[in-house]
Amino acid sequence: MNLMANILIQVIIAFLAGSLLLGLHRKIMARVQRRPGPPIIQHLLHSLKFFFKETGFPKTASKPFYIGITFILALIWIVGVIAGPVAHDSLLILFGVYAVYKIVEHNSGSSSGSPYGKLSCVRAVLSAATELPLFAAIIFVYLVTGTMNIGEIIAYQSVHGPLIFSIPLAALMFFMLIITKSPYSPFAITKDKVLISGFETEHYGLLRGFMHFSESIAWYVMLWVFLTIFFGPLTAVGYLVGMIVITFITGFINATTPIFSPNHSVMTQITIGAICFFGTILMIFTGVVA
Amino acid sequence: MDFVTLGGNLLGTIPLGDIVLYVNPFNLFLFAVLLGFTALIAVSKPETQVEAAKFNTLDNAQVKVDEKEFRQRRFLSVICGIASAGAMITGDLFNFTLFMALVGILNIGIVSAVKQTSVLNSAFNYGLIAMMCSLPLFGGASIILASTGTLSLAVLSQMHASPMVVFGAILMLIGILGESGVAPFFASKAEMFRTPGSPFIVIIHLSSLFIIVRAVEILLLVLW
Repeated sequence: MNLMANILIQVIIAFLAGSLLLGLHRKIMARVQRRPGPPIIQHLLHSLKFFFKETGFPKTASKPFYIGITFILALIWIVGVIAGPVAHDSLLILFGVYAVYKIVEHNSGSSSGSPYGKLSCVRAVLSAATELPLFAAIIFVYLVTGTMNIGEIIAYQSVHGPLIFSIPLAALMFFMLIITKSPYSPFAITKDKVLISGFETEHYGLLRGFMHFSESIAWYVMLWVFLTIFFGPLTAVGYLVGMIVITFITGFINATTPIFSPNHSVMTQITIGAICFFGTILMIFTGVVA
Repeated sequence: MDFVTLGGNLLGTIPLGDIVLYVNPFNLFLFAVLLGFTALIAVSKPETQVEAAKFNTLDNAQVKVDEKEFRQRRFLSVICGIASAGAMITGDLFNFTLFMALVGILNIGIVSAVKQTSVLNSAFNYGLIAMMCSLPLFGGASIILASTGTLSLAVLSQMHASPMVVFGAILMLIGILGESGVAPFFASKAEMFRTPGSPFIVIIHLSSLFIIVRAVEILLLVLW
């Protein structure tokens, strides 16, 4: 298939699937809490709606930055789709995409001049604890497979079996990241309700539409990467089932846990990350991992 | 281990004497993002930060960046963006440590002109950590040079990692963690982000995180 057509199709799939999965996530949370909840399609409708709403700009905003950052946010996740599902390129690129995503997302809050966005931005620096387990998980994948290339990692797993069985604690570290980035997560200190909507508070209309678009693609890409590097070669049905199951699990966890305070959030992430890190090292050096 | 396996296929090299800059999709992505942000910073004016309501009144306190401070911080931010972009494509270990140290100094410089005491305290604490960590950073690179006779990543990636190289790499990692102010040192840096000037703050955050991402590639190249 033509490369450009492939990119376009994959971006559309990522947006639609991501939106529906986030809608499902909200529905699951509502059902666990014994509420009816919105329809599954609601997140998608919300995202589309914002593209047609009037866009306003706060008087206090740093204009080019405030506007440009939302487009960059959408653009980097398109790069994520290209590096992941389209090209099966290096995992390090996806790590880079995630790093930019985090920075862009939170600095969109500070660019408005709003105190809520600002506090969200400051908390984002503290929540840098999320990157360390991701960083460690990627290194362990590399140590076991000897490559950072996603295509080669898939090929490795088709011969040796899924990595989830050989480095389960590294998979758990990656899963921590997925929980952290899921809506209403116990670790979502940047979107705590005392900060209204955190970094999103002052973005509305078209700009919010781009933020929702990026959120949907981000959710899809993160699930895709997790399933690809830990569950081996999967068919389209396998990906679909995997993504629904993970969305269900995160929805259940988020529905039953309150948001942590910033200190508790960081310490919990670091503690789980450290246990998984040293556990995996122990497994490698004692020969449990081949 | 070579460049190809880690960051995708090698797209090209830029030889500058002994120093070879190289570009693969991974480096190119980081480099392009940093230059893009640097351009955006160069054309952006800072926001007016609205602080929480004053005690016993309904007034909001607004904090602005004045013209002189704005020019100084914008200049330092642009330099920081260029230095970070350089660190993304360099193929020389010593060059990387130099860029790293420059980024650390510029991060302090970007907030040094503000008038909020808590921000200045935070910058001072971060500065102390950055200065202390410059010793293991440069020391690590020196040990690797002394034990292998080269600082070129292309050559180091083809060599077997001796115990001294591993020791040097560990020292470098400690230096990088402190200089970039990530965990466990991020607590000293978080308060720096309270100052107004979103376009300048983004480069502090971006340069630190990208240096770490690039450091992962470099340490893997040296060790495996």
